[in-house]
Amino acid sequence: MNKIAPTILQGTRDFLPIEMAKRNLVMNKIKKAFEKFGYDPIETPVICPAETILGKYGEEGERLTYNFETAGGRKIALPFDLTVPFARYVAANYRDLPIPFKRYQIQRVWRAERPQKGRLREFYQCDIDIIGTKSLVAEAEIAKIIVKVFKELGFKDFVIKFNSRRLINEILKSLGISEEKTMDIIRIIDKLVKIGREAVIQELNSISISNAEEILEAFSPAESLNKTLEKLSNFDLKEIKEFLANCENLKVPTQYLEFDPSLARGLDYYTGLIFEVTSKDADFGTLCAGGRYDNLCSLFCDEDFSGVGVAFGFERIMLVLEQMKNLENVKLNSKALITIFDENSTSDSLNIYAELIDAGINCEIYFQPDKLKKQFQFADKKRIPFVIIRGPDEIKDENVTIKLMESGKQKTIPSKQLTTYLSEYYETEK
Amino acid sequence: MKQKNNKIRIAIQNSGRLRESSLDFLKSLGLKFKITERSLITPCLNADVDILSVRNSDIPKYLKNNSADYGIVGENVLIENKSKLKIMKRLGFGLCSLVIAIPKKSKIVSPSDLRDERIATSYKNTLKNYLKKNKINASIVNIQGSVEICPSINLSDAICDITQSGNTLKENGLKILEKILDSEAVLVKNPYLSQQKKTYFERFMKNTL
Repeated sequence: MNKIAPTILQGTRDFLPIEMAKRNLVMNKIKKAFEKFGYDPIETPVICPAETILGKYGEEGERLTYNFETAGGRKIALPFDLTVPFARYVAANYRDLPIPFKRYQIQRVWRAERPQKGRLREFYQCDIDIIGTKSLVAEAEIAKIIVKVFKELGFKDFVIKFNSRRLINEILKSLGISEEKTMDIIRIIDKLVKIGREAVIQELNSISISNAEEILEAFSPAESLNKTLEKLSNFDLKEIKEFLANCENLKVPTQYLEFDPSLARGLDYYTGLIFEVTSKDADFGTLCAGGRYDNLCSLFCDEDFSGVGVAFGFERIMLVLEQMKNLENVKLNSKALITIFDENSTSDSLNIYAELIDAGINCEIYFQPDKLKKQFQFADKKRIPFVIIRGPDEIKDENVTIKLMESGKQKTIPSKQLTTYLSEYYETEK
Repeated sequence: MKQKNNKIRIAIQNSGRLRESSLDFLKSLGLKFKITERSLITPCLNADVDILSVRNSDIPKYLKNNSADYGIVGENVLIENKSKLKIMKRLGFGLCSLVIAIPKKSKIVSPSDLRDERIATSYKNTLKNYLKKNKINASIVNIQGSVEICPSINLSDAICDITQSGNTLKENGLKILEKILDSEAVLVKNPYLSQQKKTYFERFMKNTL
């Protein structure tokens, strides 16, 4: 019989245990940071009615959204991000939610992009949003969380670029741009870093914008924050200034904040401050992005909830951390392997296994008596740091021998000290 | 010089090797007080100052929580508590060292031999710092006192403890493998101290600073 090829779809991945260990470590750090600020997790369905997903991300987003028809003729779509499903969730549940409502959500999303490094078709996003308040304290809290997350993950050199959609609109209006062209121009300006100045001017010209140079000039930042604020002082900067003041009180270090008037974020739904995080530790583009949206829930209900949130691009963050060699020493779950020396000592080894498990030490037992060398090899393959040996000599003297896989040292101690030894073992490189 | 609702609190050790010298130091500032072993709060007779007699290892906590304004404490305690309190003055008494000690006949001959061994201590954080700096993985046996006994009863292979003369070590068959740090009593102040209190207290300090 022909075997089925064990393939997976392009842009999706299998993860080995060691990869999962790294991913979980990073994900747990991110979760812990969110939880510090009082965020609780929620989940939303993977398969959604197409109408709750489509039509919210602009032209390009629409093209990249997975959607299909079921046998019964129902149009289904997979989430393109977590913001729109969250808006739907709030609209469906707001009567039961404390408002303002904040949550974190870590789930897979799908985009039919051409797969490349750091860009898969199926990947995780880690979102935080605060919905139901217009206060700019929310934006500052988001900035504080971003700094917390990236510092906890070991990033040294990162920056939160921010800007205001309101400000962009105001500037474009002052340059005589009609409202219907505003969104197109924003999407083109958004590509400034990616495609460069010349190409942006060309694209602006192609949608018959005659004052492209003037537009770019108006949006380019000056050499310092204060100079940029000065340059734009004819416009309403209240939002920017209040955000900065809140950040200062929240002790968000200014070194991580960069006001960039050319930052646009392509998505249609932003209405206020927008954020984008990049790192010079390794260049994989945007690692985290988001902003304020005022009207998202009103797509789904009569209530109006203003919200602000950001998504952390988990896969890219992983790539940066791998490149920084921050995840080299990640361990698998098992801390100790209890060997079985021979048939006679099996019950003794099982007792030790039970003792360690009950003491809360992650460990496992080798399933049958075997040459110790073979059991060591198994431990090595699973990266288990401690191997416990309880042979006839150890049983006689009420001892236990620990083989420390990294140093190769064998150490015999009283058997009742084993749990203390393992639980108080201090590893200098974690 | 009375400031009724704004008394200065100085925390000192309630018993132990720093106690007497701490009281002597306060007297040398010109503070007058009658103190017994059992008085936990002792008001000064000639100044708006209360002396708090508390556990040595708790002194950083009193200051950090703004419950005491000044403290006299062993530097080793500050380090163990990872305290960031500002040292105003080193007081020149309570001299001691934190050392790693091993049995006289131990197979351990250099600090790197401590790898994977059991080290008993009451100074877990300081020991961890030392191990981290020297990239030594080891198992820490957390003991609150009489640490010197541990190697002789096979509870540990080495100890990390305070020593002054080295006599206790010797009596327990131990020798010093390495010194981790030297310590003495220091005067520390609370980071939130008001200008008013600072000015008031520093008048007493003038003679000694």
